[in-house]
Amino acid sequence: MIGVGKMKQYTNVLDKPLSKGKQEVSLSAFAFLFSELVQYNQTQVDNIAELERRLEDAGYAVGARVLELLCHRDKGNRRETRLLGILSFVHSTVWKVLFGKVADSLEKGTEHEDEYMISEKELLVNRFISVPKDMGTFNCGAFVAGIVRGVLDSAGFPAVVTAHFVPMEGQQRPRTTILIKFAEEVLRREARLG
Amino acid sequence: MRMFHVTSISYKRLLQDLFEVSEGCSSLEVLREWNRPLRTLSSQQDHKLMFGLLFSLKSFTAKMDPSSVEKGNLGVPQLPGQGCSFHSFSTNSYKLSLMETPSGIKIILVTNPKTGDLQESLKHIYSLYVEYVVKNPLYSPGTQIRCELLNTALDQYVKNV
Amino acid sequence: MAPLAPRSGDAIFANVERVNAELFTLTYGAMVRQLLTDLEEVEEVNKQLDQMGYNIGIRLIDEFLAKSNVSRCVDFKESADVIAKVGFKMFLGITATVTNWDADGTSCSLVLEDNPLVDFVELPDTCQGLYYCNVLSGVIRGALEMVSMKTEVTWVRDMLRGDDAYELRVKLLKQVPEEYPYKDDE
Repeated sequence: MIGVGKMKQYTNVLDKPLSKGKQEVSLSAFAFLFSELVQYNQTQVDNIAELERRLEDAGYAVGARVLELLCHRDKGNRRETRLLGILSFVHSTVWKVLFGKVADSLEKGTEHEDEYMISEKELLVNRFISVPKDMGTFNCGAFVAGIVRGVLDSAGFPAVVTAHFVPMEGQQRPRTTILIKFAEEVLRREARLG
Repeated sequence: MRMFHVTSISYKRLLQDLFEVSEGCSSLEVLREWNRPLRTLSSQQDHKLMFGLLFSLKSFTAKMDPSSVEKGNLGVPQLPGQGCSFHSFSTNSYKLSLMETPSGIKIILVTNPKTGDLQESLKHIYSLYVEYVVKNPLYSPGTQIRCELLNTALDQYVKNV
Repeated sequence: MAPLAPRSGDAIFANVERVNAELFTLTYGAMVRQLLTDLEEVEEVNKQLDQMGYNIGIRLIDEFLAKSNVSRCVDFKESADVIAKVGFKMFLGITATVTNWDADGTSCSLVLEDNPLVDFVELPDTCQGLYYCNVLSGVIRGALEMVSMKTEVTWVRDMLRGDDAYELRVKLLKQVPEEYPYKDDE
């Protein structure tokens, strides 16, 4: 399904020239679309965990396509094969394309070897949100976690990815941390590559 | 009908209540209350009176408009933006300022009678509503507004007015 | 105080925060894919997309009014023009053309010159009945309903179905003024 085009007619979507990805829409247009994605999925679930899982699924579909698109456009069909390479690709390239900026930070988990964290002070999808108390720890960042998982998985780095609010000292709003826990096979392969 | 209601009767020009009523539902909901010294009626009553007052005033002001030929009939509902609309009225104890959007949202500020023109403040409150209520993915139109971002922003704004 | 003149779509779009259209396009694609999985029937997906558009429209209207300085929407012709020139521009960065007015001025066509929803999209054989962009017709219907205009919005041409443009038909059904919402004896 990749192939970008303007209003010229092509018999096949693959004949269209690939866009440079410079086109923009207003943040509001995205905010309204995303709101409706959340609202629709709320009607399909019984609990918060399920809602997060469904948002993550939607994000996964976006992530898988973003990887395809960026590898084709920006990297001449090459992709990262090493752990730190793919993480920094997500933290800088993917973030910049999707959110217009590099993520605030990328850190290695201190307690577990297989955990990495990408944090953002104000994640785009949480910009306008007020989470009511009865929704507990619900974080719309699940969608972004899904995007990250989609990119990683499609690049051959299966992982469990989750989004969490982390309170910040001196800040009224918590930041969002995307926690990435790589599958065992990824770490074994990485160790083999040395 | 959707209606916001921000009132303030204190002499510090503090805004006091903020109500929102959603489309097709007549329950009044207090969003933000700073400090209203006297509460004369139930909020439900308050709200009905407020709507009736605005509805009739609008009808009267349009009927009295010397510059317009088409005046419609008194009491006949008008389309949003149709006819002239009033911005504020003052009494010896308070001033009421109103902004009505073509989408039917009414934002009302009740303040000290000496307060100047508040159209800019009303516009600002509308933009806060758009930013923190309308674009909140967890807000569904027609339900109670529970947006801490809106409350924070309103408090901040009121402090600086 | 004279009312401010409505701002141009270009001026608003230049001043609002923007995001890469690809994030928008891919997110919409993910949403459509979810609906196809959940609802299975293409006809149901069309309905749901229209409903979701409507839900967006009734919210988006306030953002539109707050940013555009449009203070009255009484005239349908004027409103159609504003949607085409300001609405599409300020949200999607594209312009639409208003054409094909009928004799009594109650229905017209909006022709899109560009459509960020459909980048990357080709309808597979199983989805030939899908109105992929049905969210747009819902948005227009919802937004107009909030300014008291009941409309019917349908697709006339759809490039994903082999037509040469995207064309929406907007028909004004009636204008409903605000009513006093309480009964006298309540």
